[in-house]
Amino acid sequence: MSILSMCQWLQDTNIGTSIRESIWSFPIIETTHVLALSISVGLLLVSDLRLMGYIMKRRPASEVYEQIKPWMFIGFAIMTITGIFLFWCQAVKAYNSIFFRAKVILLVLAAINALAFERGIYRKIDKWDNALVPPMEARLAGWLSLIFWVAIITCGRTMAYTF
Amino acid sequence: MSAIIPFFQWCDNTMISQAIRNSRIAFPIIENFHLFALTVLLGSLVVLVLRQFGLVYKGQPISEVASALRPWNRWSLAVMLTSGFLLFLSEAMKCYGNTSFRVKMFFLFFALLFQFTFYNRIVKNEGTSAPVGGKIAAAVALCLWFGVGLAGRAIGFLG
Repeated sequence: MSILSMCQWLQDTNIGTSIRESIWSFPIIETTHVLALSISVGLLLVSDLRLMGYIMKRRPASEVYEQIKPWMFIGFAIMTITGIFLFWCQAVKAYNSIFFRAKVILLVLAAINALAFERGIYRKIDKWDNALVPPMEARLAGWLSLIFWVAIITCGRTMAYTF
Repeated sequence: MSAIIPFFQWCDNTMISQAIRNSRIAFPIIENFHLFALTVLLGSLVVLVLRQFGLVYKGQPISEVASALRPWNRWSLAVMLTSGFLLFLSEAMKCYGNTSFRVKMFFLFFALLFQFTFYNRIVKNEGTSAPVGGKIAAAVALCLWFGVGLAGRAIGFLG
């Protein structure tokens, strides 16, 4: 079974068809996906900016990051769930879109960057928690995160124009 | 309302509107910036509201969190209004007949009014915890700004 035929099967399921054919489902799911950007990427931005050394410099970096983390995860959970449903109802169009493919790759890169940060320099947080400007590795993680998410938002918005 | 139609027609016919309409990529690019700014504007507001409700950054006074976020809030608002105005220019007549657009402008007017007359001053003077009035103000600001976003998204979906 090719990926394309899997996509075709997915959007032909009851759920896929009913979202596509309903007047309200798609707009509601899509609007939730867009507005939840503020709770996911919007909150992530604050912790990225702390890592870059631009915001809340006098507070420990771990505090800025950890306190906002549960809320950020709620935001990303909403993004993931709504995103899955949006893909579900138009999987073939998404599969054929270069912007969707780029978005998936960028999401993987953003996840790798976050993991590398957690497993890497963040393990030595004791050494730089109160630094006004965190070490190079942490600043780089912040910058990469920002760049990846700007690109992800761009791909997400642009793919809708090509549908 | 018909008295303002000539204004919308004028907006629809400016050189900028025509240039955006004649370009295949101008509108999507401007809208992408509108969306980045939405993320920062609403994101910075959500952080501040969470702080007022005592859910994050309890170690920092509210006024301090507000001033740390202020430049991001201001800049994103500037990008939001500029990009939004350009998007409006390119389809002013379509916006005129669009109920969601009118609702959005209503929310935008009150969101800006509330933020610059009350909300910014309230958070400037709040310390370690927000009084009930401050929490209500936080909820009102959140509803008004998310109302702008919601109605904005509805422009494309509902008409």
